[in-house]
Amino acid sequence: MSENERIPAALIVEALKAAFRGQRKAPPVDGEPLGWVLSVPDTHQRSVIAELEGDADLRLLTCSTEDEANAIAAGLYIGGAEVALMIQHAGLYASVNTMRGVGLDGGVPLFALVGLLSREPELEPAESPRSMVRFAGPLMDTFEVPHALLETRNDLGLIPEYYALSRERSGPAVVFVGRETG
Amino acid sequence: MRPEDVLRAINEARGDALVVPTMTAVPEWRTIAPDAPSVACIGFMGGASSLGLGLALAQPERRVIVLDGDGSLLMQLGSLATVAGAAPANYTHVLFANGVYQTSGSQAIPGAGAVDFAGMAEAAGYAFTTRIDTLEELRIRLPELLSVKGPVLVELAVQEAELTPMTAPGGDPLRVQVERLRGRLADGD
Repeated sequence: MSENERIPAALIVEALKAAFRGQRKAPPVDGEPLGWVLSVPDTHQRSVIAELEGDADLRLLTCSTEDEANAIAAGLYIGGAEVALMIQHAGLYASVNTMRGVGLDGGVPLFALVGLLSREPELEPAESPRSMVRFAGPLMDTFEVPHALLETRNDLGLIPEYYALSRERSGPAVVFVGRETG
Repeated sequence: MRPEDVLRAINEARGDALVVPTMTAVPEWRTIAPDAPSVACIGFMGGASSLGLGLALAQPERRVIVLDGDGSLLMQLGSLATVAGAAPANYTHVLFANGVYQTSGSQAIPGAGAVDFAGMAEAAGYAFTTRIDTLEELRIRLPELLSVKGPVLVELAVQEAELTPMTAPGGDPLRVQVERLRGRLADGD
């Protein structure tokens, strides 16, 4: 795969399924989904959102705000469901208090795929001239939230790894999506 | 209506429902229903409606009651559309409309006395909405409100509460509440 090739959406969906299966104690029953994906649509991940709309195993719920997505994720977790968020970096900034309250104070495992829209592929995010891209990682560092960067299909293992990490830590974990998905 | 009387009436009628109180409902609910399967929304402003939605989606066989405030709902007003879009049949959204942000000093909410929350919920697509002004009517209608196909929003005209999270702090930390309710549900409680 070339450095600039987009990760196919289907592979990201399969990685999410692997993440959910890795944490479930039993397979789904009676129409129960394998897990939920809470989305506030993200340009970088729009092909994944489209892929999820037709997926039989996962349930996609579009939320009005990222604050809602964090709180809905808490309710799903309490109720025994597997859940991931798909949002963009602007939404991460917008919802940081809810992430703090739910994920840090509440100890709720919040796993989020966060699109770094407008990130320059040739630059590390920390070197981006765009504040939205440059400060996303440091923001997570401030809140002691582990994070990683998804760029190529070789990185897909980060999804189940960081999903499991959110469960082990009982708190947030973020995988930044550094390039638009295909 | 006194909110304390409303909470007692809901506790008597709730059955095995899961309950999500927020702000001024929290301290009184803690006293009235200490053993109810509850998790409070404190510290992530306006999140009760969404927290309750997640519970309702994960536990579709259980009724979920959200004890929300008008000021709190205004902070996440888009959740009306999200709840309506998800269409949980087991969701009852009880809105305590006192017209103020009582916890922070009883400042008037935007549009106090003029905003029609039940009307907004209906327009967003809730399956059933109503406004109730008296405790007597609420007592009569609670069985319906807790069993009719949701999502339901009931707007209650209430006075200010006797207690707030500021005047009556305490209770278990959110982390403890989360794990306790998750454990109870996992055990089939």
